[in-house]
Amino acid sequence: MVDPKSKKYSSPSKSANNGFKEFLYNTKDGTVMGRTGSSWGKIILFYIIFYAGLASFFCLNFYIFYLTLNMDEPKFQLDESLIGTNPGLGFRPMPDPDRSPDSTLIWFRRNVPSDYLFWSKQLEVFVDETDTGKKDAGSVNLQACTLDNDKRATSITACQVKVDNLEYCNKNNAFGFSRGEPCILIKLNKIYGWVPEPYGFDERDRFSEAQLRDDLDKEIREKHMPVDLKYHILNETRGLDPNTKNFDSHRRMLLSTVWINCDGENVADTENIGQINYYPFRGIAGYYFPFLKQQGYQSPFILVELKNPMPGVVINVECKAFARNVKPDRLARLATTHFEILID
Amino acid sequence: MGKKKDVASLKGDIEITEHTLPLDDLCRQLRTCPLKGLSHAWAKVMSEKEGPNRLTPPKTTPQWVIFIRNVFSYFGILLWIGAILCFIAYAIQASSSETASKDNLWLGLVLTIVVLITGIFSFYQESKSSAIMESFKDLVPQYARVIREGQRLTLKAEEVTIGDLVEVQLGDRIPADIRIVEAKSFKVDNSSLTGESEAQSRGPDCTNENPLETKNLAFFSTNAVEGTAKGIVIRIGDNTVMGRIAGLVSGLDSGETPIAKEIAHFIHIITVVAFGLALALLAAAIALRYHWLDGVIFFIGIIVAWVPEGLLATVTVCLTLTAKRMAKKNCLVKNLEAVETLGSTSAICSDKTGTLTQNRMTVSHLWVEGGIVDAKLNDDCTSVGVAGYNKRDGYQKLVRIAALCSTAEFKGGQDSSVPVMKRDVAGDASEAAILKFVELAEGSAAKIRERFPKICEIPFNSSDKFQLSIHANNMTDKGCHLLVMKGAPERILERCSTIMTNQGEVAMNDKALDAFHDAYLELGSLGERVLGFCDLPLPSCDYPIGYNFNSEEPNFPLTELRFVGLISMLDPPRPTVPDAVAKCRSAGVRVIMVTGDHPITAKAIAKSVGIISPENETIEDIANRLGVPLSEVSPESASAAVVHGGELKELSETELDNVLRNYSEIVFARTSPQQKLQIVEALQKQGAIVAVTGDGVNDSPALKKADIGVAMGITGSDVSKQAADMILLDDNFSTIVAGVEEGRLIFDNLKKSIAYTLTSKIPEVSPFLFFILFDIPLALGSVTILCIDLGTDMVPAISLAYEKSESDIMLRSPRDPKRDRLVNERLISVAYGQVGMIQAVAGFFVYFIIMAENGFLPQDLYGIRPRWESRAVNDLEDSYGQEWTYVARKKLEYTCHTAFFVAIVIVQWADVIICKTRRLSLWDQGMGNWVLNFGLVFETAVAAFLSYTPGMDVALRMQPLKFVWWLPPLPFAVLIMLYDEVRRWLIRRQPGGWVEMETYY
Repeated sequence: MVDPKSKKYSSPSKSANNGFKEFLYNTKDGTVMGRTGSSWGKIILFYIIFYAGLASFFCLNFYIFYLTLNMDEPKFQLDESLIGTNPGLGFRPMPDPDRSPDSTLIWFRRNVPSDYLFWSKQLEVFVDETDTGKKDAGSVNLQACTLDNDKRATSITACQVKVDNLEYCNKNNAFGFSRGEPCILIKLNKIYGWVPEPYGFDERDRFSEAQLRDDLDKEIREKHMPVDLKYHILNETRGLDPNTKNFDSHRRMLLSTVWINCDGENVADTENIGQINYYPFRGIAGYYFPFLKQQGYQSPFILVELKNPMPGVVINVECKAFARNVKPDRLARLATTHFEILID
Repeated sequence: MGKKKDVASLKGDIEITEHTLPLDDLCRQLRTCPLKGLSHAWAKVMSEKEGPNRLTPPKTTPQWVIFIRNVFSYFGILLWIGAILCFIAYAIQASSSETASKDNLWLGLVLTIVVLITGIFSFYQESKSSAIMESFKDLVPQYARVIREGQRLTLKAEEVTIGDLVEVQLGDRIPADIRIVEAKSFKVDNSSLTGESEAQSRGPDCTNENPLETKNLAFFSTNAVEGTAKGIVIRIGDNTVMGRIAGLVSGLDSGETPIAKEIAHFIHIITVVAFGLALALLAAAIALRYHWLDGVIFFIGIIVAWVPEGLLATVTVCLTLTAKRMAKKNCLVKNLEAVETLGSTSAICSDKTGTLTQNRMTVSHLWVEGGIVDAKLNDDCTSVGVAGYNKRDGYQKLVRIAALCSTAEFKGGQDSSVPVMKRDVAGDASEAAILKFVELAEGSAAKIRERFPKICEIPFNSSDKFQLSIHANNMTDKGCHLLVMKGAPERILERCSTIMTNQGEVAMNDKALDAFHDAYLELGSLGERVLGFCDLPLPSCDYPIGYNFNSEEPNFPLTELRFVGLISMLDPPRPTVPDAVAKCRSAGVRVIMVTGDHPITAKAIAKSVGIISPENETIEDIANRLGVPLSEVSPESASAAVVHGGELKELSETELDNVLRNYSEIVFARTSPQQKLQIVEALQKQGAIVAVTGDGVNDSPALKKADIGVAMGITGSDVSKQAADMILLDDNFSTIVAGVEEGRLIFDNLKKSIAYTLTSKIPEVSPFLFFILFDIPLALGSVTILCIDLGTDMVPAISLAYEKSESDIMLRSPRDPKRDRLVNERLISVAYGQVGMIQAVAGFFVYFIIMAENGFLPQDLYGIRPRWESRAVNDLEDSYGQEWTYVARKKLEYTCHTAFFVAIVIVQWADVIICKTRRLSLWDQGMGNWVLNFGLVFETAVAAFLSYTPGMDVALRMQPLKFVWWLPPLPFAVLIMLYDEVRRWLIRRQPGGWVEMETYY
């Protein structure tokens, strides 16, 4: 009688130890990496079927989910969405994202076209696109809105962004880059359904000058709104002619502006930055809102001209947006944008 | 190198010839004298030449080396490499960008902490159980009495040298290996050397070539239990028999445990997978025109992501839990990894005394009035049945002699509630057995002794081989004295002229003699120790009351006595052992008896416990049955064998190999420590995983060498306990079977646990791959990966250790260490290729849903990564034209991470449930594992806690999820369960089919 386990104790087949070469291709068994051709075929076929099935299952599930989506409006909006209700600010031109993805430094030499054209071209493209966009789609959904003409963005129509009143900031003088007086484009992030809340209206939605002053003082206290912006807003409000027939809506629209202020980030920057001009207007008018994915909607912007920045030093510039429901937040970069300028 | 050679020489059998030389020659050789001992001068010379008489302590491994070894175990090294790669990646990132994420730094630190904690844990476990040599030190006597130049000196044992004449008496430890020159009823306890618990008498005569069996040698560190003796020292220190064993034990390497090999194999597999994937990714990254430095970061990232951070801890905890559970079953595990070894064991070399047997002599048979009577202990051990003999005259007389002719007594202070079998007895094992028998059969031995007070006695001595006492008879006033005697049966018979038969007392005749010899042979062949009993009522006329019996010069008859009967005893097998042996057999574990005891006894016990099964015969049995000489029986016809140590000595390596191969049932008798080792090594060479049980010092080399050494907790010597990996607290062989069962269970459950843990690696790593290959925002961050590996996955993975076995694991063969691996390609295929993929798809499903619901449709995510990741871009447009700031979209990304994390938790519910079984339907396995059910709740609670606790967004970048985002993974969880149920159904339906071949792990 033979021990039933003696087979087990017999010396193991050596195939396991014959090295990597034999593992790759074993001539004796005709196996490649431990499997014969048909074995490979079967397992590959199995995985093809398995993954195809899995992909179909995913697609089916995703299709069902897709049915719950509306292509015209995001499922979650404003506070429900993670985008929130405090819009960010963006600036143009931007450094080459491929070479320095995290950089916000605008660095160029005056009078050296190869340098400044990189920046001014970006603005040119941006402005031109806005311009052509107007021509393409304007006939249907775009209207020329002004503060006093009562035309507003609706669920279907949006307002034209005017590009003809940018004064010195135009492509013919390379947006001032050639002269070392660059214009920087500032835009407010689009948030579906978001509208700015005007200053100066109480809970019952009645305007009073006192309320306006209160609001602005509160902004100065809580959001560090620059004092000169307060006077700018007050002056603009006072400058309206109360006798026009749609004075109330005109004033409301003016106060619904998202006001924008740019300045040096630190004291030294403030000294170096020089004079700042805003075109066409020191803010983004309220009639552009809300953004409701209207056809041909144009992102409103203003151009900030640095009239006489100190050359040869890096100037940290910070632009902030203000409205009752807009709160600049430097860390989260909400209603705030930051860039550096270095002109050689 | 030198050490290895030493061990090899120690493995050889001891060669001592000094005991065979004539005493004069020996004395001349050693320049000593059997009366006066060495001269001081020569003692000094010898002392310088031979060195001190002590055991050389082995080189101990410093604690810090052990610590380093623990911290850099296989698994440890994997984690270390991961950690170092993390630090390298962080250094690269930090040097190229100021705002580099610290993720890699944290990951590296966490890996370091994990490996250190687990390392410290196992170091703590191990350091509890080292210091083998320490226990040998306790064996060494402190002082010795030496005679030099005729003067008695008390020396430190260290100073004893070869040729010294030493004096020992009861209670002493023998200070060196000595040849006895003079002895007075001298007995030594050799149990620590040979395993025989019986004290053995020693005298000046050489009775055997074998030094361990001859009567004129006594060995270093054994105990003198009776009498006094003088002897000449022939071996000292490391050269003594005990010293060689000590050297052997500390020089042996027990090798890697099977589970350590499995873990190494497992790490090998995942390293290959990780590097293969990482290299493929590196190539892809270069093809996609990434900067090479980014490629390196990705490469490192993949390898690190592939490290199962939690698995080391999981495996350690699983083993610890099993160790705890085994400890409850009286199986104490010293080395954690040994927990599994018993499960892989394919051969058990078991000692006999104390393990298979009770180590308690018990009367088993009587021969009285011509018939053999079974002395059956009834079930509750309170009385003995003798099948109708108890009224017979012969039986009554035999019991009377048994009670009287004895010096054994129950020790005082034991009250009658202690069962007789458990009471302590003062006296040797045979007398104790007889005393207990009398107590059980007749109620009280003391009563009989009261009736017949002892007047005179002659104690047992080895030349006459009998013991005698004379008692008065209080029952009759005739003053009739009774002489009783017991001893070696043939010696007793010689002194008898009459014999008790069923016809009463008759004169000795051939028929009676034949009956006696038959009975004596039969009892002997059962491996029992047989004693003969006779008596003689002394006529009152010749020996009146007050007669002065003289035991020194017997003035009473020592012959012409009346033979009454035989009592035979044996150390009975433990009642649970036959069952346990049968279980081992059905579990494919062969049980081999290796004992220092005599072949006949060994074989008898082997037969009675089933180590030699009833239908199998040895060559000797066949020869006996057929009535032919041994040489005519072909060895192939027998399947059982009893191998004597003497025969074993003559066998070559291949011959031993053949013996082990050709006989399924083997008993090795009269084996020396070195031979035990030899047997273990031969078995191991055949690929068997060997467990060895033993209790004596003599067993310790084999215990150490075995894959798992099992020492006895009660009777075991400290040395054997130190050398072993496991200790049986109840000394019971059947406990080993429980251990085998636990070991097999934990192996299966570790497989399940690893399959569970590995699966989630796919959903963890795939986001990173998609991030690189498709430029989509990262779907799962490294922090969340750690939360899974070291958080939510841990409890369910550990809970699988509590899973009950799927089938009767004791009915299958032990695993083949070459084929049945802990982790094999099939496990990888199922975990990574199938279930893991479903999980990854589930995670991405949630990811795309959240992205889409917030405005980023899948098609727009493709390629978005550079702008998504750029801090400068504060107005990234989504599919609905909304513009996202960097912070807002990162918050969205982290919400996706959290949701992906929750999705993994949910699909891991399904995974842990399918991992409960490898073959059975969940329906049959049930959900009775409450630890696992708790694990399901626990991981969910952890996930909810991480997601919703305020402050987690800062600490771990976890974001609160909308409730509906918990739901999308559910269909995938159901899919996993259904898929695997079908897979297992196919495995069951088609045993050996393609599905089993490719997916049964």
